[in-house]
Amino acid sequence: MSKKRLYGDANSKSASRNVGGWIKDLDRARQSGPFLEAHPMDAMGMSTKAVHAGTHDDARTGAVGTPIYQTSTFILHEETYESIEEGFGRDRFIYTRYGNPSQWAVQEKLASLEGAESALVFSSGMAAISAAVLAMVDVGAHVVAASDLYGGTYNLFNQEFPSLGMSATLIDSYDIEAIEAAILPNTQILYFETITNPVLKVVDIPALVDIARRHNLRLIVDSTFAPPPVMKPLELGVDLVVHSASKYLNGHSDLIAGAVCGSRKLIDMIWPRLLNYGGQLDPHAAFLLERGLKTLDIRMKAHEKSATALAEFLETHPAVDKVVYPMLPSHPDHARAKELMKMGTGNVTFFVKGGDQAALKLMDHLHLPKQATSLGGIESLISLPFNSSQSTMTSRQRADIGIHTGCVRLSVGIEDADDLIADFDQALNAIYQMKGAA
Amino acid sequence: MRNNIPTAALSEFINEVSETPEEGLMSYGIEIDWETGTRAKTSTKPMLVGPHKVSRSFSWKADEPRQLMGNNHGPNPQELLLSGLGSCMMVAFVAGATAEGIQLESVKIDFDGTLDLRGFMGLGTNAGVGFPEINYVIDVVGDGTPEQFEELHRKAVKHSPNAQTIVNPVALTGEIISKQIED
Repeated sequence: MSKKRLYGDANSKSASRNVGGWIKDLDRARQSGPFLEAHPMDAMGMSTKAVHAGTHDDARTGAVGTPIYQTSTFILHEETYESIEEGFGRDRFIYTRYGNPSQWAVQEKLASLEGAESALVFSSGMAAISAAVLAMVDVGAHVVAASDLYGGTYNLFNQEFPSLGMSATLIDSYDIEAIEAAILPNTQILYFETITNPVLKVVDIPALVDIARRHNLRLIVDSTFAPPPVMKPLELGVDLVVHSASKYLNGHSDLIAGAVCGSRKLIDMIWPRLLNYGGQLDPHAAFLLERGLKTLDIRMKAHEKSATALAEFLETHPAVDKVVYPMLPSHPDHARAKELMKMGTGNVTFFVKGGDQAALKLMDHLHLPKQATSLGGIESLISLPFNSSQSTMTSRQRADIGIHTGCVRLSVGIEDADDLIADFDQALNAIYQMKGAA
Repeated sequence: MRNNIPTAALSEFINEVSETPEEGLMSYGIEIDWETGTRAKTSTKPMLVGPHKVSRSFSWKADEPRQLMGNNHGPNPQELLLSGLGSCMMVAFVAGATAEGIQLESVKIDFDGTLDLRGFMGLGTNAGVGFPEINYVIDVVGDGTPEQFEELHRKAVKHSPNAQTIVNPVALTGEIISKQIED
């Protein structure tokens, strides 16, 4: 049995002390990590990083893959006491609310995939979003955010912000001029989604980066709909990328998790919020997420392949009014999608003739897609915004953000395209004939 | 964390500024609104830490005692000046102690200053308008030696932006925008 203890990131050391010196003599500089500095994989491909980055075999037994460190606490010793005293506890294993090797494995993998210096995992996407946002604002702050945000994030700005003495102005993510005009003297961050839900707008991230820089703001984007094989927002100049890891990153619809990626400086500012708000990811869930991430790149290719074929098929079907898929030339942001997205995803939104009632019947006739909210799983998921994600809005409010009647939100899984097409063909024919009969 | 200052983060910030000097440029601003009599309200404006904006939602009031035609509703401008000076020296002292590895138990700074209001009043004397001198005593308890604390005191003053603003000439440039009320 090895006595050698892995107490954390060995590259992380105290600033040297200089008795009689001044603060300029402190020599500890920021570095990527924890752990990333020691395992650079920048030159590797997406799939290689997905498999290998952050995954460390068990040194004691030779077991392949990261063990599940199902522990709440770690044995303290000199290196951990020192890190607490010196304020770099994030680089040591102390207590699982502070950090755990199972979490670190995912964080290292995610940072590597996003091209980030550092990452943190959370117990949900909203835990990640709330910690990231609240770390970047101060009392009295104002935020400019998208008007068609994910409902959970909307609630953070709409319900929690006023109670915290902060405010948000929500603007159509297409309206770059209005976004800039909404900036106030106390605005601290811009918060947008790279691809919106459910109408799949491809947001002009470079324009938002430009606004943020000119106004001394931080730009946070939720890239749940565009995981790293699709888009790497940090490369575009975004400050922080947040994800609901429950979607594409994990990919199997079997856990709830979130993540934030960015510079070491900003992620270190978020870490105390993770400690204070308490949204840590359990080691067992971290293991599942790490396992899911290993196939991210090949899953995305399979999602894209089936989604593209199905979207092209839907466009030709007489029962379908309109198909929204950024990689189709018919999408209003197709040119921007080709510029910003390296590949398509599984998200296809379409509008059936006959409105919401026809859409409801369509779902009943489908055999393969599960009638469930969420997205990014290996199984196709289908839902209608009018009675699920946007059910609290009036039909007029929904129409204002592009959700017209008959809107179907589809997350294409990795099933074979031919099977999905056959299933949608029979279901669409069934409702089309019913409509014709009526 | 020693003295509740994360030494690692302090060190990382100093090294960042050394590499990227614009991260060390701090821009501050306040607005002062006259309320009534000698009372005025100060509000902080957003601050820039390097190129990054920080919301500063703070305000306070200054007033003069009744003997000086005020209502004694807040500290007066001279007290606020000494407060700004001493609080800045305090930050420098504590940061310096932390960097040296000194654990502090308590630090107090006691300030006194006397000025002759005849300068303000414009009475023809040789009295200056401002403080001719400011006196303070730092009372510190911690695990440093008396020599270390003396040296720390010297460096805290040397590196305190407010102390250095007071002991050195500073350009004070201003303008006035006026509007005459006509009735």
